[in-house]
Amino acid sequence: MLWVDKYRPKTLDKVIVHQDVAQNLQKLVSEGDCPHLLFYGPSGSGKKTLIMALLRQIFGPSADKVKVENKIWKVDAGKRTIDVELTTLSSTHHVELNPSDAGFQDRYVVQEIIKEMAKNRPIDTKGKKGFKVLVLNEVDKLSREAQHSLRRTMEKYSASCRLILCSNSSSKVTEAVRSRCLNVRINAPMEEEIVNVLEFIAKKEGLQLPQGFAACIAEKSNRNLRRAVLTFETCRVQQYPFTNNQAIPPMDWEQYVSEIASDIMKEQSPKRLFEVRGKLYELLTNCIPPEIILKRLLFELLKKLDSELKHEVSHWAAHYEHRMRLGQKAIFHLEAFVAKFMSIYKSFLISTFG
Amino acid sequence: MKKAKRNAAIVILSSDDDENFSLKSNFTQPKSKSVSVPRKNPKRAKTAPLSASCPRSSKEASVFDEMKRFCEEFDDDFTGTKVSAGLQSKDDMWVDKHKPHFLEELAVHKKKVEEVKTWFEERLKAAMDNNNVLLVAGPSGVGKTATIHAIASHLGATIWEWTTPTPTVWSEHLHNSNSGLQYKSKLDEFEGFVERARKYGLTSPSLKGSHASVILLIDDLPVVNGRVAYERLQRCLKLLVQLVCIPTAIVITNYDKDDSADFSTRCWEELLVSLHSAGACKVNFNPVTVNSIKKTLTTICRKEKREVGADMIELIAKASGGDIRHAITSLQYLCLKLHRRPILPSKERLDTVDCLDDVFCLPFGKDESLSLFHALGKFLHNKRESEHTTASDRDAFLLKEKFVRFPLKMDAPEVVLCQAHGQARTLSDFLHENVLDFLNEESIDDAWLVASYLSDADFLLSSLNGQSRDFGAENIIQSAAASVAARGVLFGNAHPVSSRWHAVRRPKLWEVEQSSRRNKCQMLSQRGDLYNSLTISNKIVMATEFRPALKWLGYRASESFQADSMVEDDSDSTCLHENKLDISDDEIEDC
Repeated sequence: MLWVDKYRPKTLDKVIVHQDVAQNLQKLVSEGDCPHLLFYGPSGSGKKTLIMALLRQIFGPSADKVKVENKIWKVDAGKRTIDVELTTLSSTHHVELNPSDAGFQDRYVVQEIIKEMAKNRPIDTKGKKGFKVLVLNEVDKLSREAQHSLRRTMEKYSASCRLILCSNSSSKVTEAVRSRCLNVRINAPMEEEIVNVLEFIAKKEGLQLPQGFAACIAEKSNRNLRRAVLTFETCRVQQYPFTNNQAIPPMDWEQYVSEIASDIMKEQSPKRLFEVRGKLYELLTNCIPPEIILKRLLFELLKKLDSELKHEVSHWAAHYEHRMRLGQKAIFHLEAFVAKFMSIYKSFLISTFG
Repeated sequence: MKKAKRNAAIVILSSDDDENFSLKSNFTQPKSKSVSVPRKNPKRAKTAPLSASCPRSSKEASVFDEMKRFCEEFDDDFTGTKVSAGLQSKDDMWVDKHKPHFLEELAVHKKKVEEVKTWFEERLKAAMDNNNVLLVAGPSGVGKTATIHAIASHLGATIWEWTTPTPTVWSEHLHNSNSGLQYKSKLDEFEGFVERARKYGLTSPSLKGSHASVILLIDDLPVVNGRVAYERLQRCLKLLVQLVCIPTAIVITNYDKDDSADFSTRCWEELLVSLHSAGACKVNFNPVTVNSIKKTLTTICRKEKREVGADMIELIAKASGGDIRHAITSLQYLCLKLHRRPILPSKERLDTVDCLDDVFCLPFGKDESLSLFHALGKFLHNKRESEHTTASDRDAFLLKEKFVRFPLKMDAPEVVLCQAHGQARTLSDFLHENVLDFLNEESIDDAWLVASYLSDADFLLSSLNGQSRDFGAENIIQSAAASVAARGVLFGNAHPVSSRWHAVRRPKLWEVEQSSRRNKCQMLSQRGDLYNSLTISNKIVMATEFRPALKWLGYRASESFQADSMVEDDSDSTCLHENKLDISDDEIEDC
C-alpha cells in the first residue's frame, strides 16, 4: 500500500493538517443534522481525507467497508435508453462516484442515477441516521446542464439524502449549487505542516529524516501534500540514508514540459513547432490534461523570459486556455499558443539583438 | 440492362395516351359509378367534366394535366427527332445505337484493346489450367464493357453474363413470405452463380454455342455492405479466380475520384488487389482521351446527319472528363436543343459559350469532383498569381499591406470544398497535420496565423456538440468551419515556399486520441486494485502524480507491477500497428 493511503488519517481527531476544519465538522455531526457540503480547495490539500473521516464520524467503522463496482446504468432519456458505465465506490451508507467520467452524458448520470439512489432510502433501524450520503467528485468538471439538474435533485431529495460535493475550484460550481451547500474551503497545507506530516510518517516507518531534506521535499511539492508524500516514498526507494542535498526525482511529465520549453526558447521556426507538436502528442497520449500542460509550459517559459514579455505571453496563454475549454481538440490551441510565443519571442530577439 | 429499362419507361409514357383514351371510352358511360372507381382516370375528368359533387377528382385532374404536359414536353425533347412515337426502337439512345461493334470503332486506346484481345485469344485457343481471369478496372464510361463485347464478337465468342437479379422490394418480400417463398440474398445468388460457373461452367444448359468460345463476363458485382458480406464476396471471387476454366472478365469500376473515406470504395480497391494477388490478370483502363472522344462524336454526327460545330464537340469532349458514354449522351441532348431552336444560329451560341468559358454553365458536362487529397494539395500549396490583376484593383478597398495577398490561382476555397465533399473536421485535422511543411522556414508569424485560424475552426466545430437537432444550423457551422480552416491556411501562409513535392500525412492526432483513450481506460481500470484506497482518485491526479511516482517505485519495489506494465506495453504497440490505416501512404504530387 502506498504511504499516501497507509497514513491517511481515518478519523477526524487524528487529522494533522486541517485540525480546525476537522473540529468544526465534528461539532456539525454531533449536532445531528448535517447539511449538504461542498469541499473545495487545491489538489492535494486533504479534501477527500476529510470527507472519508467525516463519513466515519457519522456512520462509524462500517463506512470503511467499501466495495468498488463498475456498473452499467441504463438511463431512460426520452425516447431512447442510454447506457452509462460508471465506477462507484459504496458502503451501506454512502456512495461515491465521479459523474464527470461519463463525459457529455454527465447530465443523465446526475439526473437519473442520483435520483434513483436517493429514492432508495435506507431503512431506519436501531435509531441510525435515516439518510444516505452521496459523494460526488469533480463537481467543477460537470457541465452546466448537469449542475442544474444537480440543483433540482438536491432540493427534491434533501430529506433522504445528503450530498457531499468535492471540487478544485468553487468558481466553476454554479451559484445555485453553492448556495444550497455549506461551503468548506480546504486550503493547501503550509510547508511547515507538510514537514510535520513527513516527520510523522518517518517516525512511523522508523526512518531518519533530516530536517533540511523534509523542507526540500515540502518546497518541491508545491504545497501539495499528496505529492509530498509520494515524493517522499520515491526518495526512500531511491536512496535510503537520506542526505540533505539528495536529488529529488522529478515527475517525468514535468521534466518533459521543461524540455519542450527549452526547445521553444532555442529556435523559433515552423520546423521546431512541428517537433514540439510531436512532444505535446506524447504528453497527451499519457493522459496529461492539456490545461495542465499549458499551465506548466507557461510556468517554465516565464522562468526564462525577459520581464517585459511576461505580460503579453500570459495574456495569450489565458486566451488559448479559454479556447481550449471551448474547443474540442486541445492540440490545436496548445500549438497556437506555442506558435504565438515563438512569434513574440522571435520579434523580441530581433528587436533587441538586431 | 439499365439502358433498356430506361427506354422502356419512355415507351410507356408515350403510349399512355392511347391507353387513357381507350379507358375513357370504357369508363365514361356509367357516370354514376365514376366516384367509386378506385383508379382515377383523369383524362375522363377532363373531357367529360363531372358535376360539382366531385371537385376533388377534377382538381387532381388538373394537376395530372400539368404533369402530363410536362411529360409530353419531356417526351418531345427526347424523341422529338422521331417521326412518331410508335416507331421508337431500342436504339433510341445514341449510346446504344452507336455502340461499338467492331474493334476499330472502340474509342479505347488501340494498344489496350490489343492487349485484352490477345489475352482472350490465348485463353480461347488453349484453355489454361489457371490464370483465367481478367480484371478490367477503370473509371465509369471508358468503354470497359464495350471493349469486351466487341472483342467477343470479333473472336466469335458467346458472352455468358451474370445478370443481376431484380431487386426485391420490401412489400414484395412481405407478399412472398406469406406465400412461402423465401428471400434469397443477392449475394447468395451470386455465389450460386459463381459456383455453377466454376464447376459446371462448360456443361451448363443455359449455354449455347461451341465449348471453345465462351467468355464469362461479370459486369455487375453485388454491392456488399459491411465486412462480413464483403469477405464472403471476396472469398467467392477468389475461388473463381483460382478454379474457373473459362476465360472470365470481371469488370470493376473505380470510384477513386470520390470520397476516399467511404468504405465501399475502399473495399473495391482492396478486392482488386486481393484478386490480383490471387493470380488474376489486371488491365487498367484510363479515361478516354479528348481526341478519341472527339473522333467518335464526329463519327456519330456524320451518321446522324447532324451539323455540330467542331468547337462544340471539343467542348463536350473536354467537359465529359474522359467518360465517353456521358459525352455521347451530351451530344444527343445538344442536338435536340439545336434542332428545336433553329432560330439561334449555332455560331452565336458558340460565341456566348466561349466567352463564358466555364464548364459549369454548360447544360451538360460532369461536375468535377476532387478527392480530398487534391483539395488539400490546393490549399496547402497555396498557388497564387505573381501580381495583382487589374480587375481586382478597381473595386478593391484599401487594405493594410500585411493583409494584402495575391489572387489565388484556383477557384474560391468554398467551391473546392464543395467538390471535395470532405467533412470539416477531417479537413481541419489534415490541414493541421500537414500545413507546417508548407510554410517558409523563416516565418513563424505565418505559422501562428495559421494555427490561430485552425483554433478558430476547432472552436466553431465544437459548438456543434450541444446535440442540437437543428441540421440547418449544423450544416452552416460545418461549412463555416471548413471555410475558416481552408481560408485561414491560405491567408496565413503569406510566404509560401516554392512548391516542392510533399507527402500528405494522415493526422497523427487520430492515433494520439485513440491511444490516449486507451490509456485512460487502462488507468481507470487499475484505479481499483492498484491504488488501494478508500476513495476514487480522479484522473488528473492519477496521471500527473500517481503514475510518475509509481513508475519510480515500480521499477525497484514491485516486480509484479513492472511485468504487468510490460505486457500492457506490448499489447499497446500491436494495437497501434493494426490501427495504421491505408491513408498514410496516400501521396499527392504537386498540383
